[in-house]
Amino acid sequence: MQNKKLKWKSDFEKSVIIENFVNRGWIKSQEKEEEQTDWNVYWATVWNVRNIFNPKNGFRLNDQQIINHFPNHYELTRKDCMVKNLKRFKREQDKEVLEIFNFDFLPTTYIFPGEYSLFVEEFHRNPNQTWIVKPAARSQGKGIFLLRKIQQLKKISGTTVTSNMTQLNLASKENYVVSRYIDNPLLIGGKKFDLRMYVLVTNYKPLKVWIYNKGFGRFCNEQYTTDVAEIENMFVHLTNVAIQQYSDKYSQKHGGKYSIDALKLYVESAYGTDALNKMMDDIHNIMLTSLKSVQAVIQNDKHCFEMYGYDILLDSNLKPWLIEINASPSLTTTTPVDKNLKMNLINDVYNIVLPNDDFPDNDQKQQQPTKVGGFTLLYDENLDPNNRKTQKRQSVKIWK
Amino acid sequence: MQQLDNQEILMKLKSSKQFWDIKKKIKQGFNDQQKIGVNDIQKFAQSCEIEDQLIKLISHILKKSKKRETLKEDQIEFLNTSKIKWTELLFKNLDIVHQKTKNQEEDDTNTDSKLYIYDEKNLLAFLQTFKQQQHSALYQNVQFQSNKLLNINIPLKSSQQILDKYQYLLLQEELQDEKINKIRKQIENEHLDIELEKIAQTFVPNGERCLLYLKYFEFDHQETILQQNFTKLQKECLNQLFYDELLEIDGHEISEDTFYFVFQEQILTCLKCFIRDKTIKENIRIQLQNGIKKEQTEFQLPITGFFPFKNISKYVAPLCYLSTKIHIIYALFKEFFCRYFCFLHAISSENNSILSLCMQIEEIISTHSPKLFHHLKVIGCDTLKLIIHQLVYCFVGDMDPPHILTIYDQIIGHDSLEILVILCVGFLNKYKSKLLLAKNYENVQQIFQELREDKFQELVQFAYKQ
Repeated sequence: MQNKKLKWKSDFEKSVIIENFVNRGWIKSQEKEEEQTDWNVYWATVWNVRNIFNPKNGFRLNDQQIINHFPNHYELTRKDCMVKNLKRFKREQDKEVLEIFNFDFLPTTYIFPGEYSLFVEEFHRNPNQTWIVKPAARSQGKGIFLLRKIQQLKKISGTTVTSNMTQLNLASKENYVVSRYIDNPLLIGGKKFDLRMYVLVTNYKPLKVWIYNKGFGRFCNEQYTTDVAEIENMFVHLTNVAIQQYSDKYSQKHGGKYSIDALKLYVESAYGTDALNKMMDDIHNIMLTSLKSVQAVIQNDKHCFEMYGYDILLDSNLKPWLIEINASPSLTTTTPVDKNLKMNLINDVYNIVLPNDDFPDNDQKQQQPTKVGGFTLLYDENLDPNNRKTQKRQSVKIWK
Repeated sequence: MQQLDNQEILMKLKSSKQFWDIKKKIKQGFNDQQKIGVNDIQKFAQSCEIEDQLIKLISHILKKSKKRETLKEDQIEFLNTSKIKWTELLFKNLDIVHQKTKNQEEDDTNTDSKLYIYDEKNLLAFLQTFKQQQHSALYQNVQFQSNKLLNINIPLKSSQQILDKYQYLLLQEELQDEKINKIRKQIENEHLDIELEKIAQTFVPNGERCLLYLKYFEFDHQETILQQNFTKLQKECLNQLFYDELLEIDGHEISEDTFYFVFQEQILTCLKCFIRDKTIKENIRIQLQNGIKKEQTEFQLPITGFFPFKNISKYVAPLCYLSTKIHIIYALFKEFFCRYFCFLHAISSENNSILSLCMQIEEIISTHSPKLFHHLKVIGCDTLKLIIHQLVYCFVGDMDPPHILTIYDQIIGHDSLEILVILCVGFLNKYKSKLLLAKNYENVQQIFQELREDKFQELVQFAYKQ
């Protein structure tokens, strides 16, 4: 190992980011605000990344610089853009002869205000359906609510909403996404949970994707119920830790986080090995299809990599649904197990993007092993761009 | 013991699929021969192992027909009187606990972890008192070894026998997919408990474990009955018992465990049903408590015939991984407890009893790792005190669920708890070097407070390391 002393910069005061830099003996960049040259690796906020890549700033990254977001990552990570891109990609794929991608993982979704009238039609067709309303670009469960009556949309329009309205004026400028609420989630011990899984993309064109072997389920603290009286009880329905931490039943010891290894043991033992394998295959499909759907629109840049937090909900048939993709998954650690996971996660990210503390050339990138720490190569378009199905089958074996 | 006559055995054979398979094989072996003598059939059966299969089938039928009897009297009279003393002690503890809960009634938070009838430390302390009993009959022909914590003259298997029995585990390698698929098919087709035990000793794929356990316990075609029984018990839970409170408190620890917190409500429901289950008294392999209710005590023993103890939740927890159906989890837990875990709380000279297991561990450590044994004694931290928690609770909370389930496989595989002896020895050997540097009990506690990951195969390896 060369143990080169790279310079690091971080917008986050998170121990898992900083300790990983320090443990490698890398040096903290001492640059001033206006300079952008004195760092080699930068764990940045999405806003700073936008500024760096803003052509008006006339700044270009050099060969010895790497940053943790792609310039227009929001195509994947804003809820409304993700839906738009997936729908567009599906339309393109429908024209193809070969059915390679499966899109049946996105619940029916409408983007407000533009698709409001379409939503109203669908709403009336399914009077017993619950919907979930989310601001397109917020996080931590903020502004989310469950919808059973059109009148509830007053929350986001600021004025009375009736069912015969064909247009919706929103109080704020932000978009909303309204999705069919999956009211039959897989329950363990009677409680709802969703999965957080980590995916690293080191390149979009060609696409190179790594999946992390550790993730966790985030559990609600209350028993799940579809009882209408509990529809506003966020402790029943929303799995965000930012919400659950305020429950009386929240435990500091485990933070409601259930390891993915434990979940896999449960699914395999209680449902069978085939059921587990299909579930994992379907999850990999979600990851690959969603990334493929933005491949054409994302500004690929050799200075960029991105570690996404995928939020996936399993239903009672073990079918995974894509909830959203996070560009800046939380690196706050709530328990010792959580800290261990995230420390290793970031460490493995650096081992991939800066192997031996250096910037790999194209040859070195191609010769990388398919397993680095907890990351396994899920897809490399370079290897066999025309045979994605073979890739998927291989990756299942690697995963196990 | 009810013995079947030949006619009854034949009837039962005829109701088994294997019997007809065997008959078919014999017919095929003789083709269309007209005259076939008994000797011819016997020779043929011996030549192609059919005789073996038939013997196994008949012994399986005979074993099934034996009504399970609960061991009540021990061959050693001293242990019988000790059991009564133990029960009396527990009744006293129950009164104290009840008083404490009444005092805490104003306080909303009833999370005092001392609200239990007994824990593993109490149990070990009680077993230790036997040493003070200088009953002459007990110490006949026994070299008095004052350095050991437990020192009773009970028939004990040789520790070498136990070590030899489990040595095959050292040779186990990771199996290829092909072999795993073969085992899967075996589990699906097999019915004989001897064959299921063999599989359990070797390797049980996660996806087939529940099926193997259900088959072994003969529950595989009984789901409706299991469900009905459980539903009945659930209804009975509407009548609150004092023990329910203790079970709720016991559940707090499991609710903090990263692997089991999701099952907290299910575990509590199972335990509440358990203490109301009338069938346990006749199914349990060994009687745990033996005492007459005294007039002063407010409570009777639960209908199971024994008191719930601290960490009883730990016995249920790993089984929650095996099924989405609570009545299945309950049935498995009940069977595991009645067949195996009960012995971990039994004042008895039986091989599987906590007393025997402890003595085996002391024997192996004192002879194979005398330095460690002596050092622990000197710093006031006896070997048994160190591992009693892991032993009594089968390493639940110390090992991750996949490893616990492997322990359960081995328990079924050998119809014995001896695997715990091997694992406890391995555990002590693993931490030997750190323990030898410890100067006192606090140092020892620090060693085990650090984040550690103990694994089944790893501890087995350490058990046999010199």
